[in-house]
Amino acid sequence: MAFTDLIPWRRGSQAPARTSSENLFSALQREMNALFDDFFRSWGSATLPMPRMTFSPSITVHESAKEYRVSAELPGLTEKDIKVELSGNALTISGEKKEEHEEKRGTTVYSERSYGSFYRSIPLPEAVDRNKVKAQFKNGVLTVTLPKTAQAKAAHKQIPVKAE
Amino acid sequence: MKDLAKKTAPATPVTVERTHDWPVYLPDVDIIERNETFELYADVPGVDPNSITVNFEQGVLTIRAGRPSAAPNTDVIYSEFEPGEYERSFTVSDQIDAAKIAAQYRNGVLVLTLPKVEAAKPRKIEVKVS
Repeated sequence: MAFTDLIPWRRGSQAPARTSSENLFSALQREMNALFDDFFRSWGSATLPMPRMTFSPSITVHESAKEYRVSAELPGLTEKDIKVELSGNALTISGEKKEEHEEKRGTTVYSERSYGSFYRSIPLPEAVDRNKVKAQFKNGVLTVTLPKTAQAKAAHKQIPVKAE
Repeated sequence: MKDLAKKTAPATPVTVERTHDWPVYLPDVDIIERNETFELYADVPGVDPNSITVNFEQGVLTIRAGRPSAAPNTDVIYSEFEPGEYERSFTVSDQIDAAKIAAQYRNGVLVLTLPKVEAAKPRKIEVKVS
Protein backbone atom coordinates (compact mmCIF):
# COMPACT_ATOMS: atom_id res chain seq x y z
CA MET A 1 0.00 0.00 0.00
CA ALA A 2 1.35 3.37 -0.96
CA PHE A 3 1.68 6.01 1.71
CA THR A 4 -0.70 8.29 -0.15
CA ASP A 5 -3.44 5.65 0.17
CA LEU A 6 -3.66 6.59 3.82
CA ILE A 7 -4.63 10.13 2.94
CA PRO A 8 -8.32 10.08 2.02
CA TRP A 9 -8.26 12.89 -0.54
CA ARG A 10 -5.28 11.43 -2.33
CA ARG A 11 -6.55 7.90 -2.54
CA GLY A 12 -6.60 6.70 -6.10
CA SER A 13 -5.43 9.96 -7.56
CA GLN A 14 -2.52 9.64 -9.96
CA ALA A 15 -1.16 13.12 -9.53
CA PRO A 16 -1.29 14.24 -5.93
CA ALA A 17 -2.08 17.82 -6.82
CA ARG A 18 -1.34 19.70 -3.66
CA THR A 19 -3.25 22.78 -4.65
CA SER A 20 -6.48 20.84 -4.96
CA SER A 21 -6.29 19.79 -1.33
CA GLU A 22 -5.21 23.26 -0.31
CA ASN A 23 -8.03 24.73 -2.30
CA LEU A 24 -10.38 22.41 -0.52
CA PHE A 25 -9.16 23.68 2.82
CA SER A 26 -9.02 27.30 1.85
CA ALA A 27 -12.53 26.98 0.43
CA LEU A 28 -13.69 25.57 3.74
CA GLN A 29 -11.80 28.27 5.59
CA ARG A 30 -13.39 30.91 3.40
CA GLU A 31 -16.82 29.51 4.15
CA MET A 32 -16.09 29.53 7.86
CA ASN A 33 -14.72 33.07 7.71
CA ALA A 34 -17.77 34.24 5.81
CA LEU A 35 -19.94 32.62 8.45
CA PHE A 36 -18.06 34.33 11.27
CA ASP A 37 -17.98 37.61 9.39
CA ASP A 38 -21.72 37.56 8.94
CA PHE A 39 -22.16 36.66 12.56
CA PHE A 40 -19.93 39.36 13.97
CA ARG A 41 -20.87 42.07 11.51
CA SER A 42 -24.11 42.61 13.32
CA TRP A 43 -22.04 43.94 16.24
CA GLY A 44 -20.03 46.14 13.97
CA SER A 45 -16.74 44.25 14.38
CA ALA A 46 -14.03 44.37 11.74
CA THR A 47 -13.83 41.51 9.26
CA LEU A 48 -11.42 38.75 10.15
CA PRO A 49 -8.27 38.64 8.06
CA MET A 50 -7.99 35.87 5.47
CA PRO A 51 -5.29 33.32 6.13
CA ARG A 52 -2.62 33.41 3.47
CA MET A 53 -0.51 30.74 1.87
CA THR A 54 3.03 30.73 3.12
CA PHE A 55 6.25 28.89 2.38
CA SER A 56 9.75 28.82 3.73
CA PRO A 57 12.71 29.14 1.34
CA SER A 58 15.77 26.95 1.91
CA ILE A 59 18.80 28.83 3.17
CA THR A 60 22.48 28.11 3.51
CA VAL A 61 25.05 30.11 5.47
CA HIS A 62 28.70 30.13 4.48
CA GLU A 63 31.56 31.63 6.40
CA SER A 64 34.94 32.70 5.13
CA ALA A 65 37.73 34.63 6.80
CA LYS A 66 36.30 37.91 5.48
CA GLU A 67 32.54 37.48 5.53
CA TYR A 68 29.36 35.54 6.10
CA ARG A 69 27.20 34.71 3.11
CA VAL A 70 23.52 33.83 3.45
CA SER A 71 21.90 32.28 0.36
CA ALA A 72 18.18 31.68 -0.01
CA GLU A 73 16.55 29.72 -2.82
CA LEU A 74 13.74 31.81 -4.26
CA PRO A 75 12.98 30.51 -7.74
CA GLY A 76 10.37 32.38 -9.75
CA LEU A 77 10.74 35.64 -7.89
CA THR A 78 12.29 38.90 -9.01
CA GLU A 79 14.40 41.22 -6.90
CA LYS A 80 11.35 43.47 -6.53
CA ASP A 81 9.44 40.77 -4.64
CA ILE A 82 12.11 40.41 -1.97
CA LYS A 83 12.68 42.50 1.13
CA VAL A 84 15.96 42.20 3.04
CA GLU A 85 16.20 43.87 6.43
CA LEU A 86 18.62 44.15 9.31
CA SER A 87 16.91 44.70 12.59
CA GLY A 88 18.50 44.26 15.96
CA ASN A 89 20.72 41.25 15.67
CA ALA A 90 18.80 39.53 12.91
CA LEU A 91 18.75 39.41 9.14
CA THR A 92 15.21 39.10 7.84
CA ILE A 93 14.25 37.99 4.35
CA SER A 94 10.60 38.30 3.42
CA GLY A 95 8.34 38.79 0.44
CA GLU A 96 5.67 37.20 -1.62
CA LYS A 97 5.69 34.85 -4.56
CA LYS A 98 2.75 35.22 -6.87
CA GLU A 99 1.71 32.65 -9.43
CA GLU A 100 3.62 33.76 -12.51
CA HIS A 101 1.56 31.74 -14.93
CA GLU A 102 -1.82 33.29 -15.28
CA GLU A 103 -4.60 30.77 -14.98
CA LYS A 104 -6.28 32.38 -17.94
CA ARG A 105 -7.35 29.73 -20.42
CA GLY A 106 -5.22 27.18 -18.64
CA THR A 107 -5.78 24.33 -16.22
CA THR A 108 -3.30 23.25 -13.59
CA VAL A 109 -2.59 19.59 -14.28
CA TYR A 110 0.10 19.20 -11.66
CA SER A 111 1.31 21.45 -8.89
CA GLU A 112 4.22 21.12 -6.49
CA ARG A 113 5.81 24.54 -6.43
CA SER A 114 5.27 26.88 -3.50
CA TYR A 115 3.45 30.18 -3.62
CA GLY A 116 2.50 32.77 -1.09
CA SER A 117 4.37 34.89 1.35
CA PHE A 118 7.58 33.88 3.05
CA TYR A 119 9.55 35.08 6.02
CA ARG A 120 12.86 33.94 7.43
CA SER A 121 14.88 35.50 10.16
CA ILE A 122 18.50 34.58 10.77
CA PRO A 123 20.30 35.60 13.95
CA LEU A 124 23.53 37.42 13.17
CA PRO A 125 26.86 37.09 14.84
CA GLU A 126 27.86 40.35 16.46
CA ALA A 127 30.97 40.70 14.37
CA VAL A 128 29.16 41.91 11.24
CA ASP A 129 29.85 45.29 9.68
CA ARG A 130 26.23 46.37 9.30
CA ASN A 131 26.98 49.24 6.91
CA LYS A 132 28.62 47.01 4.33
CA VAL A 133 25.93 44.34 4.00
CA LYS A 134 25.02 43.69 0.36
CA ALA A 135 22.24 41.68 -1.27
CA GLN A 136 22.18 40.26 -4.77
CA PHE A 137 19.59 38.23 -6.64
CA LYS A 138 20.63 35.94 -9.48
CA ASN A 139 19.06 32.89 -11.11
CA GLY A 140 16.51 32.48 -8.35
CA VAL A 141 19.00 32.68 -5.50
CA LEU A 142 19.29 35.62 -3.11
CA THR A 143 22.76 36.08 -1.69
CA VAL A 144 23.33 38.42 1.23
CA THR A 145 26.96 39.19 1.94
CA LEU A 146 27.75 40.26 5.49
CA PRO A 147 31.38 41.37 5.87
CA LYS A 148 33.02 40.80 9.23
CA THR A 149 34.22 43.82 11.16
CA ALA A 150 37.92 44.64 11.08
CA GLN A 151 38.05 43.74 14.75
CA ALA A 152 36.60 40.29 14.10
CA LYS A 153 38.99 39.72 11.23
CA ALA A 154 41.90 40.70 13.44
CA ALA A 155 40.73 38.33 16.14
CA HIS A 156 41.03 35.45 13.71
CA LYS A 157 44.55 34.27 13.08
CA GLN A 158 45.78 31.15 11.46
CA ILE A 159 48.86 29.71 13.12
CA PRO A 160 51.32 28.09 10.74
CA VAL A 161 52.39 24.60 11.74
CA LYS A 162 56.10 24.11 11.39
CA ALA A 163 57.95 20.87 10.98
CA GLU A 164 61.09 20.40 13.07
CA MET B 1 -3.09 13.89 -19.70
CA LYS B 2 -1.78 12.05 -16.70
CA ASP B 3 1.04 10.58 -18.76
CA LEU B 4 2.91 13.85 -18.61
CA ALA B 5 2.57 14.19 -14.89
CA LYS B 6 3.67 10.68 -14.13
CA LYS B 7 6.55 10.72 -11.71
CA THR B 8 9.21 8.55 -13.19
CA ALA B 9 12.12 9.97 -11.32
CA PRO B 10 13.32 7.33 -8.84
CA ALA B 11 13.70 4.76 -11.58
CA THR B 12 15.12 6.83 -14.38
CA PRO B 13 14.04 5.22 -17.62
CA VAL B 14 16.99 6.62 -19.51
CA THR B 15 20.04 4.55 -18.67
CA VAL B 16 22.72 6.82 -17.31
CA GLU B 17 26.09 5.75 -16.07
CA ARG B 18 26.89 7.89 -13.09
CA THR B 19 30.49 8.90 -12.69
CA HIS B 20 29.97 10.94 -9.56
CA ASP B 21 28.28 10.51 -6.25
CA TRP B 22 26.85 13.91 -5.47
CA PRO B 23 23.16 14.11 -4.64
CA VAL B 24 20.49 14.28 -7.32
CA TYR B 25 17.48 16.45 -6.55
CA LEU B 26 13.98 16.27 -7.97
CA PRO B 27 12.96 19.80 -8.92
CA ASP B 28 9.41 20.81 -7.97
CA VAL B 29 7.24 21.26 -11.04
CA ASP B 30 3.92 22.76 -12.05
CA ILE B 31 2.21 21.69 -15.27
CA ILE B 32 -0.39 23.92 -16.87
CA GLU B 33 -2.56 22.84 -19.78
CA ARG B 34 -3.62 25.46 -22.28
CA ASN B 35 -5.59 25.17 -25.49
CA GLU B 36 -2.62 24.58 -27.76
CA THR B 37 0.23 23.81 -25.36
CA PHE B 38 1.31 22.33 -22.09
CA GLU B 39 3.63 24.43 -19.95
CA LEU B 40 6.01 22.87 -17.47
CA TYR B 41 7.59 25.04 -14.77
CA ALA B 42 10.50 23.50 -12.89
CA ASP B 43 12.20 25.18 -9.93
CA VAL B 44 15.95 24.91 -10.49
CA PRO B 45 17.38 27.85 -8.54
CA GLY B 46 21.02 28.79 -8.65
CA VAL B 47 22.07 26.77 -11.67
CA ASP B 48 24.25 28.05 -14.45
CA PRO B 49 21.91 28.37 -17.47
CA ASN B 50 24.58 26.68 -19.60
CA SER B 51 24.48 23.58 -17.43
CA ILE B 52 20.81 22.91 -18.20
CA THR B 53 20.04 20.11 -20.62
CA VAL B 54 16.62 19.14 -21.89
CA ASN B 55 16.49 15.80 -23.68
CA PHE B 56 13.68 14.07 -25.44
CA GLU B 57 14.19 10.44 -26.25
CA GLN B 58 11.73 7.66 -26.92
CA GLY B 59 8.81 9.50 -25.41
CA VAL B 60 10.71 10.52 -22.28
CA LEU B 61 11.53 14.15 -21.56
CA THR B 62 14.47 14.58 -19.16
CA ILE B 63 15.63 17.82 -17.61
CA ARG B 64 19.02 18.07 -15.94
CA ALA B 65 20.91 20.93 -14.33
CA GLY B 66 23.91 21.29 -12.07
CA ARG B 67 23.74 22.93 -8.67
CA PRO B 68 27.02 24.77 -8.22
CA SER B 69 29.26 24.16 -5.25
CA ALA B 70 30.27 26.86 -2.85
CA ALA B 71 33.22 29.12 -3.38
CA PRO B 72 36.52 27.70 -2.12
CA ASN B 73 37.88 28.74 1.27
CA THR B 74 34.46 28.95 2.88
CA ASP B 75 32.93 26.84 5.61
CA VAL B 76 29.32 25.84 5.57
CA ILE B 77 27.97 26.80 8.96
CA TYR B 78 24.31 26.09 8.23
CA SER B 79 22.84 24.31 5.25
CA GLU B 80 19.41 23.47 3.89
CA PHE B 81 20.55 22.85 0.34
CA GLU B 82 23.72 21.32 -0.97
CA PRO B 83 25.55 21.20 -4.27
CA GLY B 84 24.44 18.44 -6.58
CA GLU B 85 22.34 17.93 -9.64
CA TYR B 86 18.72 18.40 -10.55
CA GLU B 87 17.17 15.69 -12.63
CA ARG B 88 13.65 14.67 -13.49
CA SER B 89 12.03 12.69 -16.28
CA PHE B 90 8.53 12.82 -17.65
CA THR B 91 6.73 10.39 -19.89
CA VAL B 92 5.24 12.48 -22.67
CA SER B 93 2.25 11.23 -24.59
CA ASP B 94 2.02 11.36 -28.37
CA GLN B 95 -0.28 14.35 -27.97
CA ILE B 96 2.89 16.44 -27.83
CA ASP B 97 4.73 17.67 -30.89
CA ALA B 98 8.23 16.76 -29.67
CA ALA B 99 9.98 18.66 -32.44
CA LYS B 100 8.54 21.93 -31.18
CA ILE B 101 9.36 21.70 -27.46
CA ALA B 102 10.91 25.00 -26.35
CA ALA B 103 12.80 25.81 -23.15
CA GLN B 104 13.53 29.04 -21.33
CA TYR B 105 15.31 29.81 -18.05
CA ARG B 106 14.49 32.86 -15.99
CA ASN B 107 14.86 33.68 -12.30
CA GLY B 108 15.69 30.13 -11.34
CA VAL B 109 12.74 28.60 -13.16
CA LEU B 110 13.01 26.42 -16.25
CA VAL B 111 9.92 26.87 -18.40
CA LEU B 112 9.20 24.26 -21.06
CA THR B 113 6.54 24.83 -23.67
CA LEU B 114 5.20 21.62 -25.16
CA PRO B 115 2.91 22.26 -28.12
CA LYS B 116 0.13 19.78 -28.77
CA VAL B 117 -0.01 18.01 -32.10
CA GLU B 118 -2.59 19.35 -34.51
CA ALA B 119 -4.94 16.41 -33.84
CA ALA B 120 -4.93 16.98 -30.08
CA LYS B 121 -5.88 20.66 -30.18
CA PRO B 122 -9.42 21.51 -29.21
CA ARG B 123 -11.58 22.29 -32.19
CA LYS B 124 -14.89 23.89 -32.73
CA ILE B 125 -16.97 22.08 -35.27
CA GLU B 126 -19.15 24.33 -37.30
CA VAL B 127 -22.74 23.29 -37.62
CA LYS B 128 -23.92 23.72 -41.14
CA VAL B 129 -27.48 24.57 -41.77
CA SER B 130 -28.75 22.98 -44.90
